[in-house]
Amino acid sequence: MGGAAVISTNGLSKDYGSGRGLFGLDLEVGAGEIFGFLGPNGAGKSTTMRLLLDLIRPTSGSACILGLDTRRESVEIRRRVGFLPGDLALYPKLTGRNVLDYFAELRGGVDARTRASLAERFDADLDRPLGQLSTGNRQKIGLIQAFMHEPELLILDEPIAGLDPLVQRSFHSLLREVAAEGRTVFLSSHTLSEVEHVTSRLAILRQGRLVVTDSLENLRKVAVQRLEIEFAEPVDAAEFRGLPGVETVEVNARIMTIGFEGSADAIVKAVAAHEVLAIRPREEDLEEIFLRFYGEPDR
Amino acid sequence: MSWATTRLALHLRARAAVLAALGFVAVLLMVGALYPAVGHTIGKLNLPPSVANLLGGADYGTITGWFRSEIATIYAPLVIGALAVTTATGLTAGEEEIRILALVLAQPIRRSGLLTAKAVAVGAVVLAIAAAVWVGLISGVALGGGGIGLSHITALAVQLALFGFASGALALALGAGTGRRAVGNGGAAAILVAGWLINSFAPLVSAIAWLRYLSLFYWYAGHDPLGRGVGVPGLVVLGSVSVALTVTAVFAFDRRDLRA
Repeated sequence: MGGAAVISTNGLSKDYGSGRGLFGLDLEVGAGEIFGFLGPNGAGKSTTMRLLLDLIRPTSGSACILGLDTRRESVEIRRRVGFLPGDLALYPKLTGRNVLDYFAELRGGVDARTRASLAERFDADLDRPLGQLSTGNRQKIGLIQAFMHEPELLILDEPIAGLDPLVQRSFHSLLREVAAEGRTVFLSSHTLSEVEHVTSRLAILRQGRLVVTDSLENLRKVAVQRLEIEFAEPVDAAEFRGLPGVETVEVNARIMTIGFEGSADAIVKAVAAHEVLAIRPREEDLEEIFLRFYGEPDR
Repeated sequence: MSWATTRLALHLRARAAVLAALGFVAVLLMVGALYPAVGHTIGKLNLPPSVANLLGGADYGTITGWFRSEIATIYAPLVIGALAVTTATGLTAGEEEIRILALVLAQPIRRSGLLTAKAVAVGAVVLAIAAAVWVGLISGVALGGGGIGLSHITALAVQLALFGFASGALALALGAGTGRRAVGNGGAAAILVAGWLINSFAPLVSAIAWLRYLSLFYWYAGHDPLGRGVGVPGLVVLGSVSVALTVTAVFAFDRRDLRA
């Protein structure tokens, strides 16, 4: 974690009954981080964000943002935070310009140049009624309202929903610029691929509980390593299955893919008994790491 | 309080309010124009007291009775009540159900300030309709040959405005208190209709006659503003109910979770 905690939660819980909600969340996000908050639908990501903004109240526990209590000092927090909800809804009869004017007025005014620059960057249509815009174009208006007052913290729930790849790229570069300025981004997604290009750290949430919090680098380190070995002749998978550390062995004619944890020593020695044409390391797909955390109930 | 929110709410509701106001004026002109030809012919209907009460006395033979039965007893409170209720519910539970309110409340604004701003917008819509009734009545009565003083016409418009405030505040309390449009619209409509029936039927049975004091209709029309002028107790009660229900709405809205 970099710098002082911008977001800090202590046993934050929201119990909706029947096992639904958020349970005992302890999390710290530092200044200048782009923090990914991942989990499948219904894991508690949006609940956490709504708790942080005081839209709903915790059953137990507490949270601080920028050193302020989310219950007692929520107005000051919201002054310094930009938020994009996951299920963005805006007044359909108003234009993007009308809506941005309204939110700017609620904030006591924003820098018109910043707003114009964001609109240009996202190529947003500000003059058509929002009800006539596509999901992606409405999402651009949502992003502009979240960024236009240059907040110290951005809380973004599934921010790239509906955005085309070009706008996604522009959005990701904006996130990097924001982080470079020492501002913080807390963004959620249900797929790792959406955030892996920009996050420095991430947390994975499942069924309302925090499963893991770590850097992408560390998550890669604990991942199962894989080697793809090409032999001159077909080999028998059974010969490798019992070796220390080996988790998976797949043989397809002369090519074997072997997954293992820890030292590769035993594998290398067993492979040396055969004529080897090539050895290629294969990094575990991050999506697989992610899915593994999703899938294991008591990790 | 947020004037930006009040302005936006009025902008979103302006069309419905203007149409209702113009419709009111048109109806009042038409009713006034019909009185010379039809009113004297119908005269005072000989109806059972329960039915006569529902129709505001059913005395069509005088211009006061004509406008009381045609406009003041049912039509005017129905329109202003319906508009106040749907406006109040739409601005609160309606926006919450379509998830707009979550983004608005992510801005630096207190819930109490937001709800007060919306209550002011509801009040402004009600005032616009009451003003249209005032203008329409003056014109309609003139078309009908005159006979109702300006002070009594003003009294009706004022009592009607207070009735509208109270109806809107009731819907605010139900809509903002629960976040459910069906509760706001349905609950307020049910209470208002029950109040109208109670005000009409309760006086016929002495043992339950006191129930009429629970009805907003009694405090609006019980004093007969068109015939007797302003009823101060009615204004005080309707004003107090409006304030109490708005405070209740703010209190309830401030203490609950916003619906997902």
